[in-house]
Amino acid sequence: MGNHPVKIIVSVVAMVLLANVSFGADAVKLRYVQSFYVDGKEVGLKFPEGVACDDKGRFIVADSGNGRLVAFTVVDGKPVPENEIRVPELSFPIRVRVNSKGEIFALDGREKRLVRLSPAGEFRGYVDASGMPSPATVVARSFDIGKDDSICLLDVFAGRVLILTPEGKFARQVDFPKDYEVISDLAVDRAGTLYLIDSVKAAVSIAAKGSAQFSPLTGSMRGTMKFPATITTDGRGNVYVADKNGGVVFALGPDGSLKGEQLKMGWTEGFLYYPEQMCINDQEEMAIADRGNNRVQLFSVKR
Amino acid sequence: MTGENATMRRGAACSVLFLLVLLLGATAFPADKYNLKPGAKGKICLTCHVAFQEKLKRPFVHTPVKTGECSGCHNPHTSSHGKLLDDDPSRICGRCHGAMAPEKARSRHKVVAEGKCTACHDPHASANKWNLVKAGNELCFGCHKDLGQAVTKAGFKHSPVEKGCLTCHDPHASEKFDHLVKNDVPGLCLDCHKADKPAFARRHSDYPVAKGVCTSCHNPHGSDKAVFLYANVHRPVANGMCNQCHEAPSSPTPFKLKNAGFELCRGCHSKMVNEAFAKNQLHWALVGRKGCLACHSPHASPEAALLKGPTISVCGECHSDTIRRQETSLAKHEPVANGECKACHSIHSSDVPLLLANPSVNDLCGTCHDWGKHSSHPVGAKYTDMRNRNLSVNCLSCHRSHGTPYKKLNPFATSTDLCVQCHERVKR
Repeated sequence: MGNHPVKIIVSVVAMVLLANVSFGADAVKLRYVQSFYVDGKEVGLKFPEGVACDDKGRFIVADSGNGRLVAFTVVDGKPVPENEIRVPELSFPIRVRVNSKGEIFALDGREKRLVRLSPAGEFRGYVDASGMPSPATVVARSFDIGKDDSICLLDVFAGRVLILTPEGKFARQVDFPKDYEVISDLAVDRAGTLYLIDSVKAAVSIAAKGSAQFSPLTGSMRGTMKFPATITTDGRGNVYVADKNGGVVFALGPDGSLKGEQLKMGWTEGFLYYPEQMCINDQEEMAIADRGNNRVQLFSVKR
Repeated sequence: MTGENATMRRGAACSVLFLLVLLLGATAFPADKYNLKPGAKGKICLTCHVAFQEKLKRPFVHTPVKTGECSGCHNPHTSSHGKLLDDDPSRICGRCHGAMAPEKARSRHKVVAEGKCTACHDPHASANKWNLVKAGNELCFGCHKDLGQAVTKAGFKHSPVEKGCLTCHDPHASEKFDHLVKNDVPGLCLDCHKADKPAFARRHSDYPVAKGVCTSCHNPHGSDKAVFLYANVHRPVANGMCNQCHEAPSSPTPFKLKNAGFELCRGCHSKMVNEAFAKNQLHWALVGRKGCLACHSPHASPEAALLKGPTISVCGECHSDTIRRQETSLAKHEPVANGECKACHSIHSSDVPLLLANPSVNDLCGTCHDWGKHSSHPVGAKYTDMRNRNLSVNCLSCHRSHGTPYKKLNPFATSTDLCVQCHERVKR
């Protein structure tokens, strides 16, 4: 019988068609580029939970277990660490982002306060959401920075997203969806659309810029995802969700359709072990804080 | 004439009715579809199944058995089903009895949903009404053993339970309510307990509890504590100081809490809350909208530390994927299987990821496992994991604590697959 060429062609066409049915016509793939393991003094990263990308090719890592930030650039294909950023106001950074001026914002997991640093890492103050409506109590679990430098704070205590001016003054708030379970992370895209990931429902909600409420982008993806805990977006309206317990990254299209299930749980390069925050830069590179593997991994986003 | 007409009409109606009954009977049990010999119906089966003759003397006999229609349920020649049943056991009762549970029932007895009618009913004859295989609560406690033991041991017994489970529960399904109850709570309770009596109001510190959920404090199945309180009672409740957490009973919103989320509990439990906040990793559920009530019951609970339920079900509310992993795991990790999540996790907060109770994975596993003896493989902080320069070899390098589909909590199908992860040169 053997493998007749027609059989092979039919099989390939069938596989391509099946792949398209599963993940839409333009599936997204992540290709491993490299990992950041150590700072300039060969001190290894320890349980990094956060990573931020800027538009100059800089990656700021929240090296949570070591209580510091470490910035990396990639020169000639190799990671070049900068001096560590260690300030007493930031003992356990868990989320990090950069605004258009290069200022670094980091959320302290212990104090649950947002810290503003200069691009070089000097402490510039806390972002404490002044002019807040009731309730005044805020417990920030995550945050993101909009293209206009507005600060979007995930307040899990009152179940809302606080939108603050670049100076940190309260501008408005959007309440979590009514039927939410556990919202773990948020993202804001270039158009100002807010995204929430519900870890227990495994569902994404969105609120267009200026909208007063969230609406579902997806239904529950509980059968597909285990415990999705972080979310980010790219410049094309695609959404990426990291499944912490599954060690997988899911790509969703702007309409919420599944465009790919990428990576696997593991320890070698290209695999994830309890991934945390992600970021995507203008060069379509995705950095993932691979907490359980004590490293940050860099992937190129392929379509 | 008029009287005669009426009599005739009645006679005609009776005849039609009689014919209908005959027709229906014929539909349910087709007359002699097996072409039995005259006089054989209802007797021929018993010539072999002699033991049934004694059984049929019981006071409650299933109608087709009584009328000798053995072939109503059994095919005397051949069948694809056990006991020569004429249909699938989960469907055969429904051919006459229809669906015993409303299609959109809020709760449905598991055995009814599974079509296991014979778990409760004897299809031939029984000493008990409705052909039940056992009488009263003894039948229910055959499956609900823990509940049966608790009811038997309870120092204070609730009379409706003594009368029978069916006082409050529908054995098949409840259209509108959980737990197969016939009415909602407090509606069910207020059928007997009159909330407008002064003594009732006094006992409840004048709070309008008739609008509350009685079962948040009282165990309807009985208890060792007076007034059926659960074994563990929150101190303000025990002391009748509801206003420590709630607004005054005279308030337009008497049940409204004085503060939101964990901030309410912090008033008394400040040490615990402050300790939790002093750690790097906080269990986020603690500071969510439900606060401490994500896991704890505010009034009373049969569980220690006022947990809402057994640990595995409380943790499983959010971490169902982890619990499921254990359920489908080939090897069972005892603390997970027993719902002892606290054996490894510090549930409020920790300085270590995954809220582990010990910063060293090896030390944590070492509290139960003498891992130093189990293998000659080097394990410990001084041995670098060959797959990743930033990891040292620990128990989780080769095992997944909540379970895998493979032996010994191995993340890979075979030991070889596991070993070649690091020892690539022996890979073939």
